[in-house]
This record gives sequence, C-alpha cells and structure tokens, in this order.
Amino acid sequence: MLIYILKRLGLALIVALTVSVIAFALLRASGDIATALAGEGATPESIAVIRQTYGLDRPIPVQYLSWLWDVARGDFGQSYFFRTDVAGLIFGKIGNTLILGAASLAIALALSIPLGVLAAIYSGSIIDRAVTMFSLMGQALPSFFLALALIMVFAINLRMFPASGADSWRNFVLPALTLGYYITPPFMRLVRAGMIDALNTDYVRTARAKGLPARRVVFKHALRNALVPVVGLVAVQLGLLMGGSVVVESIFALDGLGYLAYQSISYRDFPVLQGVVLLLSLAYVVLTLLSDIINAWLDPRLRAA
Amino acid sequence: MTAPLLSVRDLRVDLKTRIGTLHAVRGISFDVARGETLCIVGESGCGKSMTSLALMDLLPRVAKRSASGLTFDGQDMMRPRVAEKLRGRRMAMIFQEPMTALNPAFTIGDQMVEAYLFHVGGSRAAAVDRAAQMLEKVGIGSARSRLGQYPHQLSGGLRQRVMIAMALMTEPELLIADEPTTALDVTIQAQILRLLKDLQRELGLAIIFITHDLGLVSRIADRVVVMYAGAVVEEGSAAEIFEAPAHPYTCALIDCIPQPGKTERGAHLGTIPGVVPSLIGRQEGCAFRDRCALSEAVCARPVPVRGHGSHHWACIREVAA
Ligand SMILES: Nc1ncnc2c1ncn2[C@@H]1O[C@H](COP(=O)(O)OP(=O)(O)O)[C@@H](O)[C@H]1O
Ligand code: SF4
Ligand SMILES: [Mg+2]
Repeated sequence: MLIYILKRLGLALIVALTVSVIAFALLRASGDIATALAGEGATPESIAVIRQTYGLDRPIPVQYLSWLWDVARGDFGQSYFFRTDVAGLIFGKIGNTLILGAASLAIALALSIPLGVLAAIYSGSIIDRAVTMFSLMGQALPSFFLALALIMVFAINLRMFPASGADSWRNFVLPALTLGYYITPPFMRLVRAGMIDALNTDYVRTARAKGLPARRVVFKHALRNALVPVVGLVAVQLGLLMGGSVVVESIFALDGLGYLAYQSISYRDFPVLQGVVLLLSLAYVVLTLLSDIINAWLDPRLRAA
Repeated sequence: MTAPLLSVRDLRVDLKTRIGTLHAVRGISFDVARGETLCIVGESGCGKSMTSLALMDLLPRVAKRSASGLTFDGQDMMRPRVAEKLRGRRMAMIFQEPMTALNPAFTIGDQMVEAYLFHVGGSRAAAVDRAAQMLEKVGIGSARSRLGQYPHQLSGGLRQRVMIAMALMTEPELLIADEPTTALDVTIQAQILRLLKDLQRELGLAIIFITHDLGLVSRIADRVVVMYAGAVVEEGSAAEIFEAPAHPYTCALIDCIPQPGKTERGAHLGTIPGVVPSLIGRQEGCAFRDRCALSEAVCARPVPVRGHGSHHWACIREVAA
C-alpha cells in the first residue's frame, strides 16, 4: 500500500511540474509583461526599469525557476487590474468556492447514489425511465435556466433563500442546488451502470446463494464495487464543477474563485488567471491522488499494482 | 422408504428472449435422498445450470420457473420466500468459476462469517473460530492468516476450497455443486472431488453434482440423471447407467469417456456428431432423433418412458441399445 501511494505521489509531482510549465508559458505568451505592468501611457524608460526590477530581461529558464520558487513560497505576482497581490486576492475568495464545490458535490452524490441504485435494481422499468429522464434533464437544462427558476421560486416568491451574496449558509443553498444538479447526470449514469454490472456478477449470486437479505446484497456486495469508478469520476468532474462554478457564481454574485476567473478573463488580467489556473490544476492533481488512494482502499486488487 | 430430502416434479424453466420463449428446462423430475450424491450430466447448454438455479430460486430475472412439486424436507419451495429462507442455511451452492464467485472487495474471513452470523447468530469471534475450523477441514493450512486475505491473493483451487468451506459453515443438508471443477486443472480437480466425498461422509451431506463430464460422474455418483435439451432422457443408479445404459444418448456419452488401458494415448475421443436442437418453442417427439443412429419414424411422435425399479429412460426402444 505504501509503495502504491509513493508511486502515485511521484506521478502527481510530475503532473504538477508539467502544469506549472504550462501556467508559466500562459503568462509569457499573453504579451509583454513589463508593458502590461507599467500600465497605459508608460514611457519606454519606465518599462525598461520595470523589466529590470522584475528580472524579465533574464533567460527564460532562469525566469521559470525563480518564478517557481516564488510560487512555492506563495507569491503569485501582481494583478494588472486590481493592483494587489494575486495570492491575497485568490485566498480571499477560495473559501466561498470550496464551500460551493463541496456542497454541490454532496448534493450530486446524495442524488445520484440512491437514484442510480434504484434505476439499476428496476432497470428497464418505469422507475428506471423516470430516473433517467430526471438525470437527462439536469444535462439538457442550461444551468443559468435552473438558477433563474430557483431564484424565481425560492428567492422571489417564497423568500426562503437569498438570490445573491455570500454572507451566510443560506446564500449557498440555491447555487449549490444548481451546480449539484448540473453535475448529477454523469454520476447517476455511472452508479446505475456500475450497479447493473455488479448485480449481474458471480459474487452477487454467491451472496444471494448464502441467503443474505436483499438489502445486504445490494448495499454491501454490489454497491461497494459499483462505487470504485465513482470515486475516480469525482476527480474528473472537478473540471466540470469549476467550469460550472464560473457561471453559477456569476449569476448568484457569489464572490468566489470562479467569479474571479471570469473577471480576470474579461479584464485580460493574466497574472490572476495564471494563479487561478495553477491553483485549480494543483487541486485537481491532489484530488486525483486522493481518489487513487481511496480506490485502493475500496478495491484491494489495486493495492498490488 | 424414508422420504427424500429434495423432491422435484415436472420442473420447468422458461426464458423470455427476443426471438421467442426458450424452454431451458422441460418438465424434469428427480429425488435426492439424504447423504447421497446425485449427478446431473449432459452436454453444455442442456439446462443443468438453469435447473440448479431454479432449485435455489436464484434464476436471472428473464427466467421463470414452474413445477407441479418442489419440496425440501417436506417444505413447499414453490411458495414465495421458502427457498430464500432455506438457501445458505440448509441448502448451499458452489459454482463453476471460483475466480469470480468471491467478492474482490472483502476478505475471505468477512465473506465466510457474514451468512453464518445472519443465519446462526452468536458472537463474531465464535464465527471467526468456526471459519478457521472450516478452512482447516477443507485442507487449507494456516487458516487464521488466510481469513485476513483477499480473494485475489488465492489460487483458483484454493478459492474453490474457500467456497466449499463457506458453503458448509451452516452445516447444510444439501450442497449443489454446478461444475465445481471444470475451471480447475486435473490434479486440483481430483483433490476437490476427494474433498467433497470425504466431507459428505463426515457430514452426511447430500450432493447434487452437476457436470458435462461423464468421467467425473463414474468416480463420485450414487445415482445419475442424464439430461438432453432440457429434459431427462435417462435416470438410474451409477451401476445401471455405466453397466447397462439404455438410452442411445447415454451410450454415446459413455463412448466419449477415455478408458484407461482401452483408449490409446492421443486417440481422438469420440464426439457425438450433429447439433443440439433449438430450445426455442416446443419439441414434439424425441429431441435426440437428429443425432441418433437408431432413430425411426415413430421417434418424431411423443416417446414413452420405459424402465423398471430405479432405472428409467425415454426412448422407443425397450432394451439397452
Ligand atoms: N440469460 C440467458 N438468456 C437467454 N438464454 C439463456 C440464458 N442463460 C442460459 N440460456 C440458455 O438456456 C439454456 C440452458 O442453459 P444452462 O442451464 O446454462 O446450460 P448448462 O448449464 O447445461 O450448460 C442454454 O440453451 C442457454 O443458451
Ligand atoms: S426415441 Fe428414437 S431417436 Fe430418440 S433416442 Fe430412442 S431411438 Fe433414438
Ligand atoms: Mg452450466
């Protein structure tokens, strides 16, 4: 198990370094940094001073290494637009996005696991079709449409939850529902397919032959194995979650990382964009690593690999 | 005459398929006495697995069973939930594929004790003791440490021993073994057969042993049921079947057994020419007639069951072929 984790860790490190090269290149490719930092109407002299101050006249590999060293110490550079530390900007907003992401994921899993199991047990029946319909709708419906519908019903008519802001947990309910439902379909499909496979396996037949009650057969023997690919999907779906959070955070004016990414793109604020991309990619790498470890725990055969 | 442990009368299994109803089992009847080994033998696809799954009420959803009588120790197993209550406790089953029959996600020990705890109860420690004891009984050394292992850490032969040990945890009276040695190599096969016979003697276990290999049958059977295309074509004691086979299909199968001394090394073993008829739709007359060397025009009409004592066969011919 330890060797397995070390191997995965090594792999994660390689991926993280690759990501850092790409993020570094992103900023260099966006145009001349010194000009951008100097602001509009700056003289060639002041631009030259900035170039020297920030070491932008050094060879690219040296610049990369010194940038990597800065990033490792939490220094992500200066925002062109907000004129502040990128790091401070990001860490001020990351909490909201984490809460939104975790809540959405929890909602997606809470919806997709029972529904997927139900659809698998009654596969081909009307229950299966209804569940599949419900999940297809999550995919077909644009998330802004659901967001607006939820705002209409729960914020304007029923006045149960606020439509915007990030002041209390109540602000997160509608965005998390929107985002959670948006990422439910792939989970639902995976749970359903995994459960249909698992219910047809020899070991489930063995469990039934042992005279175990149906509940135990479904939830212990079948579900445990059906969940293995779901854990992997959580990491993969994080991309979708991040993309979705840009839209959802913008609609609900939830001041998080997704909203910041949206702003940095529209203001061509590349250092901020670089920081967000780097952070999200690293989060992705860490989550993949975690899901590998959880998978190894769920499926003992992987531990030997 | 004591009452049989298991009594099967006119058992049928029908499967819904896209091209029509497949009659996998076509009204078969047999009894199993306590402590005896009944072998069900026939070519692949003749309905042996469907029969065993129907007895355990474990048929896939597309399959439906019916019977005019199906009793275990006098209890009517066609009534809802009766088979469910008996299986895993008083009747157990092991399968052909030891590599996939155990759950990869749980330890051997966990899988062995869970049904025992559910059916018998008691403390977990006591159940674990019993599991270790059963592993030793099926010839697995260092049983305690095996309990903590996962299925993928064991060879096929060991897994089948684990399956047997697990099936016998609750001291069942009947063990259904569906081709339990087919996936194993010959040496392991012989060990497992000997193990089953030893356990049977020790525990007074009745065994339904299902195989396509008549050679195995001659080594372990007390009585034999020969199936062809979903129906029983001949039934009798092992001596009757091997010394005086009456049905042409049984004779053809026996010709396929390699005989020590008689069959030359490397000689082509006889296979029965022709193909098994489709199981979709009803069959009028003898299902074997397209492949039977002795068939006559009357064989296309319903065939009588002949025989005496414990020996019966379904053929137009009165005497052994
Ligand atoms: N799930 C299924 N759907 C359709 N036909 C099946 C299914 N399972 C088995 N059959 C058919 O039922 C017949 C009997 O199968 P089975 O009992 O498994 O045979 P055996 O165990 O004797 O090899 C075969 O003709 C097989 O093709
Ligand atoms: S009934 Fe006819 S076809 Fe069938 S086994 Fe007997 S002789 Fe052969
Ligand atoms: Mg079979």
